[in-house]
Amino acid sequence: MKLLLRRVGYFILFLLCWQVAVMVLGIKEFIIPSPLKTLSHIFHPALAAKYQWPIHIRATLLEIALSFLITAVAGNLVALTISWSKTLKALITPIIVFFNSLPKIALAPLFLLWFGYGLLPNTLIAVLVAFFPIVINTATGLEQVEEDLLDLVRYLGATKGQIFVKIKIPNALPYIFSGFKISATMCVVGSIVGEFIASDKGLGYLLKDAQAFIDTPTMFACLLLISLLGILLFGVLSLLEAKVLYWMPQASSGGGR
Amino acid sequence: MNKAVPSRSLFLFRWVKRNIQKNLNSIAVVLGFFLFWEAAVWAFDIPQFILPAPSTALSHLLVPRTDANYRWWYHISSTVLAISLSFAITSTVGILIAIALAWSKRLKEIVLPAFVFINSLPIIAIAPIILLWMGYGVLTNMVIAFLVGFFPVVINTITGLEAVDEDLLDLVRYLHASKLQVFLKIRIPNALPYIFSGLKICSTMSIVGAIVGEFIASDRGLGYIIINAQYSMNTPPIFSSLILISLAGALLYTIVSLLERFIMPWTALEAEP
Repeated sequence: MKLLLRRVGYFILFLLCWQVAVMVLGIKEFIIPSPLKTLSHIFHPALAAKYQWPIHIRATLLEIALSFLITAVAGNLVALTISWSKTLKALITPIIVFFNSLPKIALAPLFLLWFGYGLLPNTLIAVLVAFFPIVINTATGLEQVEEDLLDLVRYLGATKGQIFVKIKIPNALPYIFSGFKISATMCVVGSIVGEFIASDKGLGYLLKDAQAFIDTPTMFACLLLISLLGILLFGVLSLLEAKVLYWMPQASSGGGR
Repeated sequence: MNKAVPSRSLFLFRWVKRNIQKNLNSIAVVLGFFLFWEAAVWAFDIPQFILPAPSTALSHLLVPRTDANYRWWYHISSTVLAISLSFAITSTVGILIAIALAWSKRLKEIVLPAFVFINSLPIIAIAPIILLWMGYGVLTNMVIAFLVGFFPVVINTITGLEAVDEDLLDLVRYLHASKLQVFLKIRIPNALPYIFSGLKICSTMSIVGAIVGEFIASDRGLGYIIINAQYSMNTPPIFSSLILISLAGALLYTIVSLLERFIMPWTALEAEP
């Protein structure tokens, strides 16, 4: 707790330095706006009415939430299928590993071509980007079971379903959550890049649109809100992890992307 | 010196051969996937602008066309330059900064939490701001790629530098090892596997950064071709570019893996069943 307070302190100090530096050095607002200027573009009534923040926030939030739900459910189902059947595993795993190594974000324009503008293509892009880390993490977790334990319960006549429900899935939970956290960031990235390329609303769209008008404070405000959405999802997942995995000594860190 | 050359090329040959043998099943499945795709496009008569067959995409690359002619080499060289330079710079700077952070405890205490925090953010969203500051061009795309790939390298390297057996450190301290010696002989060798896993992440991220940079604004590069072809609903060049981007990714990944094998030959022994 003390550590957290100190970190928040550093962060506030950083923001203060930024604010002072912009004011003292007279940095033009279209190059780097001050933190206060950025906030004013979100909260000032006239500006807020101009940018219609709620519409854009809702669009992006919907894409992120939908894509995360789809990836979380579908990714885990695919991982379970792989782990359940040896034949399917041999067939599906190479394709998943192959696609996971591709820069999937490069497919984004194709999705726009196929599905048009809006919620659907952006959500699907996010799903595509975030899907594979979950599959790979969950599948890894399902395999990481002590062989002796499996031998024991097999000897006791446990069915395959019982082994999955009582041993493999609980054992995979830390991996599942670590996959969730990686894919949470990926969902935000996918949605935003989709909005960059073609969209008529959303924070990514506004960010790109503001760039055309060299409206830097709005760009920073978008960046702030996008980060907040990412942190929100990450925070919800961490809380859920702490609740579900209460026996773990510490919340596991994401472990890279 | 003369002797070393054939043995090294032999090493490369054996490495490739072993990897192909080990992954024979996977290669077969992936090839099967592409064959299925090709067959499905012909069988169901799928229009080219929706989904071109892999062979159509390849032919756009290899056969000069009269309509929608792309100067492939011009765009390939631009993207490859952005990816390879940004990867080289990101990995070097990332590793050096990680070592500096691991060296000074005070610095690490302040900077590392910030880095971990930033790493969990969707960094790519900063791309339009970089574009605003720097204008169009390869350099801009390299900076975007740098920002996206930098944090995984630093965090992985620091994790490796810190994951050292405490008893070993106690022992060498007792033997009066200097801090530099501890780094050179213990911490950095120990961090190598972490560094390489960071570099692998960074290789993908460099590509993502460079391509997204080209998406947003650029007048050259494979990402530019994809966007340009999307506007005119000219789908085959999109797939040709995707093939090339994937190849670039696979190539970079292979180079990192080969480097890993050269620098840490002992890991291959552990990996043998």
